[in-house]
Amino acid sequence: MVAAQFLSETRRRVPSIARLALLALLAGFAVACATGVGPRLSRTQPLRISEVAGHGDATRRASTRLVLNGLESSPPEQGLFDYERAIQIDPTNPYAYLALAAFEVQWGDLEQGVELLAQSELLLESEGLKSPRVEPHLIGLRGRSMLRGYDDVERRAGESWLDEARRMAPEVWGDGWLGVAELR
Amino acid sequence: MAKARTRKTSTRRNTGSRKKTSPARRRRSSRKGLPPWLRFLGLALALVAFVGGFVAASYVVRLDRVVVAKFAGKPFRVPSRVFSAPTIVYPGLDQHLVDLRGTLVRLGYRESSDTKNLAPGRFVWSSGRVRVHLRAFEHPTRREPARDVVFRLSGNIIEEIREFPGGREVGAVQIEPEQIGAYYGPNREQRDLVTLDEVPDHLIDAVLAVEDQRFQSHPGIDLRRIGGAMLANLRAGRVAQGGSTLTQQLVKNFFLTPERTLKRKMQEAVMALLVEVRYDKAAILTAYLNEIYFGQRGPTAIHGVGEATRLYFGKKPRELQVEESALLAAIIQSPNGLSPHRGSERALKRRNLVLELMHEQGRIDAATLERSRAIGLHLASISPDPGDARYFLDLLRRQLAEGYDSEVLTSDGLQIYSTLDRRLQRIAANSLRGGIEQLEKRYPKLKRDDPAKAVQGCLVAMRPQTGELLALVGGRSYGVSQFDRCTQARRPTGSVFKPFVYIAALEPVRGRPAITLADFLDDSPLEISTSQGAWRPENYDRKFNGRVHVREAIERSLNVATARLANDIGIARVADVARRLGIESRLPLVPSLSLGTADVSPIEIARAYATIASGGIRPETQTIEDLVDASGQTLERRRLHFERVLAPGTAFLATSLLAGVADRGTAKGVRGTGLRGPIAAKTGTTDGERDLWFVGFTPELVAVVWIGFDEPESVGVPSSVGALPIWRKFVKEATGGRIRGAFMRPKDVESVEIEPSTGARALPGCPTHHPEYFLAGTAPEQTCPDRPERRRRHREETERGFMKWLRRNF
Repeated sequence: MVAAQFLSETRRRVPSIARLALLALLAGFAVACATGVGPRLSRTQPLRISEVAGHGDATRRASTRLVLNGLESSPPEQGLFDYERAIQIDPTNPYAYLALAAFEVQWGDLEQGVELLAQSELLLESEGLKSPRVEPHLIGLRGRSMLRGYDDVERRAGESWLDEARRMAPEVWGDGWLGVAELR
Repeated sequence: MAKARTRKTSTRRNTGSRKKTSPARRRRSSRKGLPPWLRFLGLALALVAFVGGFVAASYVVRLDRVVVAKFAGKPFRVPSRVFSAPTIVYPGLDQHLVDLRGTLVRLGYRESSDTKNLAPGRFVWSSGRVRVHLRAFEHPTRREPARDVVFRLSGNIIEEIREFPGGREVGAVQIEPEQIGAYYGPNREQRDLVTLDEVPDHLIDAVLAVEDQRFQSHPGIDLRRIGGAMLANLRAGRVAQGGSTLTQQLVKNFFLTPERTLKRKMQEAVMALLVEVRYDKAAILTAYLNEIYFGQRGPTAIHGVGEATRLYFGKKPRELQVEESALLAAIIQSPNGLSPHRGSERALKRRNLVLELMHEQGRIDAATLERSRAIGLHLASISPDPGDARYFLDLLRRQLAEGYDSEVLTSDGLQIYSTLDRRLQRIAANSLRGGIEQLEKRYPKLKRDDPAKAVQGCLVAMRPQTGELLALVGGRSYGVSQFDRCTQARRPTGSVFKPFVYIAALEPVRGRPAITLADFLDDSPLEISTSQGAWRPENYDRKFNGRVHVREAIERSLNVATARLANDIGIARVADVARRLGIESRLPLVPSLSLGTADVSPIEIARAYATIASGGIRPETQTIEDLVDASGQTLERRRLHFERVLAPGTAFLATSLLAGVADRGTAKGVRGTGLRGPIAAKTGTTDGERDLWFVGFTPELVAVVWIGFDEPESVGVPSSVGALPIWRKFVKEATGGRIRGAFMRPKDVESVEIEPSTGARALPGCPTHHPEYFLAGTAPEQTCPDRPERRRRHREETERGFMKWLRRNF
C-alpha cells in the first residue's frame, strides 16, 4: 500500500521528461555494470591486513604489526609464532585469528583452522569490522576448509564457496589459495 | 753352609772343565751359592713387589676407569631451567604495566651513565627517555638479536620505540624471559655449561694467573708449587697455601671428598696424572670452568663460570670485561667468604691482587691493569630464588613428569619456556597474602597460632582465549605448605556453579531455549524428593522472593529459584554443560548439584569461566610454550588449542548475566575502588561459610580466588567480604585500573526493549522499558502495551510519518 502511494506521488510530482532521464541513467548504469565498463557491484577489493595496521588502540596496533611480521615470514609456518604472540598481546584481535586460520585451514590443523576462522568472524562481527572487503577471505577459507573434508557433498559445497570467493576477488582467489602476500 | 759349598764344588768337578761352562749355568751356580735365607728374602721381596705392583696397577686401572667413565659419560648435572613468558613492549603501553625497570633489573641489566658505548645488558634511564641495549635472546625458533633501542616516554606511556643509532621506528620489542626456577638434582647444583670458545681469554688468564700459572706445562701435579706451598705452610705454622693444580682441583671436585688425608691427596695426585694422560689441556680446562664452585645462593650451589657470570653480572661469559673476569677468578679461593654480595672490600682487594698477578705474568699490560683496577664492583641484581612461583613450578613438574623422567629434568639442562607472567604472578601473590592478612586483622577470630592451621587461599589467573596460565598462587606461604589449593584441592563451589544452570537453560534445545532473559523464575519454597529424603533449598538470607526476573535470580544469587530451574530442565543437562565448559571432577547427578555441592578445583572453575569469556571456545590449560634441550633443539612446542563447546550467542547471554552480577548484584563490590570497564563475575559461599569463592573475568583475563581452611571450618564471612577484595586488588593492579576491550556480542544476539514487570516487548507508549539481549528469534512476541487498537494506531502513525517525509523530499 505504501509502495503504491509512493509511485502515484512520484508520478504526480515528477515531470515525465525527468522520469525518462532517470530511467535512462539507471539503464546505462546497469549496462555498464554488466559489461564490466562501470563499477562491478559484486566485486570488491579484498582487505589487506597492512591497511588496518594503524587502526585501534596501541595494543591492537602492536598486535596487528606482529601479524604483519608473521605474514612476512618465510616459510609461512615461521609466522605461527608471531600470530600466537599477537593473540597473547590482544586476544580479541580478529586479524590475528584470521592469519592463523589462513595457515591452519590451508596447510595445518584443519579442525583448529575452522575454529579460528569462526572466532575471527565472530570478533569481526562484534567489533563491527566485518566489511564486504573481508568477506572474500572468510568465504574462500570456508571453501578451502570444506575441500579438505571427507565426503563429496562437503567438497562440492567447498568448491562452490571457493567459486564465490573467486568471483568476488579473482586477484586473490584466482588460484584457489590465499597466500600470505595477498593477506598482508 | 760349608758342607753345601763343598758339595757344589765337587759336582762341578764331576761335570768336566770350568772353561766349558756356559754363562747361564754360571749364574745358576752363583745363585745356588746364596744362602737360603737370602734366597727366601729375595723371593719374598719379589713376590711382594709383584703383588704390590699388581695391586697398584689394578688400583690405577680402577681409577682410570673412574676417570674415563666420568669424562666419557655425562660429567655434569645441569638442572632444567624454567622461564617466564617474555615481556613485550610496544608504543602506547604504560611502562608500569610491564614493570619495565623492574624487569630489566631482575634480568641483570645494569643502569649506566655512559651513553656513548652502551654495551648489551646496560640501560640509561633519563627523564622521558630510556635507552636499553637489549641482549640477544637465544632460541631455536624465536631468536631475537641484540639491539640498542630508545623508548621515548610521555609520563608513563611509551610514546615510541626507535633503534639506536639510525632512528628506525620499531613496532614492538621482546625482552627475554626471566628465569623463574630450575629443577635440581639431589645436590641442588646450578650451572650453565660453556665451551672454551664462549669464554674470553682474559677469564682463562685470570683463573690461571691465580690458581695454576704453570697449567700448560705441568703433567697434572706441580712439584714446584707443592714445594712452595709446603715451605709457606711451615713458615706460617698452619695450612696457609694449597699446592693443588687445576687438574687436582677438578679431580677433587669430580671424584673425591673434601677430607684432608694423605690417602686422599695421593689418590688426587694419581687421578690428576691419569686425567692429564688421557685428556688434553683444553678438555681439562673446559671441565674445570664448568665444575668450579662459586658459592651458595640460598639452598642452591652455583657451579661453573657460565652460571657465575649470569649471577654476578647478568650476562654471558663472552661479554665479560677484564675486571669482571678477575673478580670471578678471585672468588674461586673462598666463594662464600669472598662473595662480593657479602663483603665488597675483601672481594675488591682480592680482585686487584688477581689483576696484579695477571700483569706480573705478562697476561695483561700495565694500562689494562691500571684501567681495570680503577673500576669498582658493579654487580647485577639477578632476582633471588623463585619464591612465589614455586606452586607453578610444582604444577609444571607434575605435568612434565608425564613425558620426562626426573633424571632428565634434573640433569639434562632443558630450557622450559612457560606461560607464567612474572608481573601478574607477583601481583597475585601479594594480593592473596595481603588480602588474607587483612581478613585476619578485621576478624581476629580467624587467626591461628599454628601457621599450618591458618586460613588459606589460592589465586589462579588465565588468559581466556588461549588458556595460558598467567599466575598461580596455591597458598599463602609455600614454606609452610606446598599443597597447591588451586590445582590439588577440590572443594564445594557454592554459587560459582550456578551460571552452568543458567547456561543450560539459555542454550537452545531443538531451536528453543528453556528461558530467555525476559523470563521470570519462581523463588517460592521448594521441596524435591531425593533418595536421601526431601531436599528443601533455602536462600542465603533464608527468605523467599516469589516471582523474580532471571537476572535478579542470579544477581542476588537466589538458591531456590536456581534449584527449581535446574530441576525443571534436568540436572543431567546442567552437568553436561559444566563438563563441556571444562569441569573434569565427578559431578553427582543430585538436585543440590545446581547449588555447587560437587567438589571441584579452582583451576577447573577458571577454565570453565574462560570458556564463557572466550565466547564458547574451551581452551586447553597451557603452562608451557616450548621446551628446548641443552643443544638448542626444540623438543616440544605446545600450540594453542581451541574447541567450540558453546554457541557464541549463549556464551554472550551468560556473560551479560554475570556482568549484571558485577554491576548490580552480589559482586558489585568489584567496582568499589573505581575499577571500570567490562567485568563479569560471580560470588560463591558454601554452607556454613566454609569456602569463599570469587570468579571474575574481563575480555582478556579470568581469575579465581578461593579462601577457606584446609580442614573445613567456618570462615564466618561471605565471599563478597573474604574473596572479592583479593580479586579486585589483583585485577586492578594487573590492568592498571583500565580494563581493555568489550565482551564479544555475536550477530545472532539482538537487543530488544522490554517492559520489566511483564517481560513483554516494549513498544512506544509503554511506560517503562529497558534493553535486553535475546538470541535471534527468541525475543518475546507479547508487546507492551498489548492492545490491538494501540498497535494499529502505532502502525498508522508510522505510515503517515513516512508519507510526510516523501512529500517533503520529492
